[in-house]
Amino acid sequence: MTPQFVMDGLIAGAMIGLGAIGVTLTYSILRFANFAHGELLSWGAYLAMAISGTIGMVSTTLLKPIAPFSFGWSLPIATVLAILLTGLLALAVDALLFGRLRRRGSAVIILVMASFGASLALRSLLEFIFTSKPAYFTKALQIAIKLGGGLRATPDQLLSLGMTLIAVIAVHLLMTRTSIGRSMRAVSENPALAGIAGVDVRKMIRVVWFLGAALACIAGIMTGLLVQIRPYLGHDLLLPLFAAAILGGIGSVPGAMLAGLIVGLSEALAVQLVGAEWRAAVSFVILVIVLLVRPRGLFGRAA
Amino acid sequence: MTGLVTTTPALETRALVAGYEPDLPIVRGVDLSVAPGELLVVLGPNGAGKSTFVKAIAGVAPIHGGSVTLAGRDITDVPAHRKITQGLAFVPQTENIFATLSIHENLQLAAAVLPKPVRPDRIRALYDRFPDLAIAPSRLAGALSGGQRQMLAVARALIVDPPLIILDEPSAGLSPKIVSEVFEMLQRINATGVTVILVEQNVKAALKIASRAVILVEGQIRHEGAATALLDDPILAKLYLGTGHARNHSREAELP
Repeated sequence: MTPQFVMDGLIAGAMIGLGAIGVTLTYSILRFANFAHGELLSWGAYLAMAISGTIGMVSTTLLKPIAPFSFGWSLPIATVLAILLTGLLALAVDALLFGRLRRRGSAVIILVMASFGASLALRSLLEFIFTSKPAYFTKALQIAIKLGGGLRATPDQLLSLGMTLIAVIAVHLLMTRTSIGRSMRAVSENPALAGIAGVDVRKMIRVVWFLGAALACIAGIMTGLLVQIRPYLGHDLLLPLFAAAILGGIGSVPGAMLAGLIVGLSEALAVQLVGAEWRAAVSFVILVIVLLVRPRGLFGRAA
Repeated sequence: MTGLVTTTPALETRALVAGYEPDLPIVRGVDLSVAPGELLVVLGPNGAGKSTFVKAIAGVAPIHGGSVTLAGRDITDVPAHRKITQGLAFVPQTENIFATLSIHENLQLAAAVLPKPVRPDRIRALYDRFPDLAIAPSRLAGALSGGQRQMLAVARALIVDPPLIILDEPSAGLSPKIVSEVFEMLQRINATGVTVILVEQNVKAALKIASRAVILVEGQIRHEGAATALLDDPILAKLYLGTGHARNHSREAELP
């Protein structure tokens, strides 16, 4: 067993954690498991790729890698635009599908089934537009840096970890220190009372969709940068995302992040100990254990 | 104060029909006019529609007909979250505070409808008024006792200095000692000129502090009058205990 599994696990865990924050926030406010959340990761990655490619066509200097990373300025610029567009995509799906079902007072199972449909449609659309062939932000190769203790990581990987840390702290501060975060927590606990207290619940639902999609977009871009871009990128992360959101406790931002790291590290450990074919089973095992032993997760409130 | 023709009512409902299913209205045509400064108690047996009536006014239960006017302005279609800024504060019966937020956050959340510069002053004024809440403002509201929760819920509602506050059974689940404290608090609020509408099961205690009472049976006003007169009125027993003409309408409920 090499210590490198710790780094692999942390990197996978960071991406899972970031995606899981989106899941936990939307779940806590919309109160249904949105199985189309994974598609927001994929769309984020593809949108960033398309925008970055377009920027590259206009100015090739923006494609030149910013040392020591593998990508040029086109990717950070594309990331900002992709975050906006992924957020708008989530708002559009809500306006067209989930919002209508909510107004009709549909049961949770209807919303969950609708999210399955949305997931399939969004994924198929990606395959239709971009084909299912894997794509990459950049073809540049990166040499891993020795970090000591037998650990190695590429500059892209370290940047991703750093970005994740910043994003998690930012979201945590937003939720705990700002008026909008307080309103979101209030809606999550009791939407009717939040309305009585003057909170515009519909607006908060839009905010949470946008925020969840933005985080999904960042997670998708990181996955695309560190692994590859495929239409199934987000779909394949869905089980780890939900395992992390539930392990962390629905509604808890630090919980989702910590649980994401636990899931990522457990996966990496399983690959080392029992073989790579068991990686996908890890999330499932974690999910089952949490639901049986501590359904409210690490930081969730008691039902 | 009541009965003055020239005064615009603090609240008025006209032929109000409300309920969760359009075909099965729970409130069936209620006409009610509340004068500014009144302390009105809404009584009635279980299932009479008292709670749905006030929830409809607050915008939490669907309205299917009629109108609600607040100080002369039609607020029938105003969404729940905008009623507080129009001057109507509502305290629901259960789950009327955010248990996962601290006491201070509960008040900050409510203060968010006010302009930013006045928020800290308003919160401070409420701490002065409810010193119990000021002891540990960072405490989670979920850890408060029943009486303190009610206090926080009322403080939350008072943050905008509303001319009207509606409370749905504030005494529910509280010990008699705490009930009298809550009622005293409501009397003090009323004494500052705030119109108070109170839904209550705790009939006698409510009638002692109220200026006027209406009795709702089967979603309609069956009786109304001065609170003190009603205390000894046999109609109360009739409506609650199901004797006399109200037999077919009332459900099991006992006078406390």
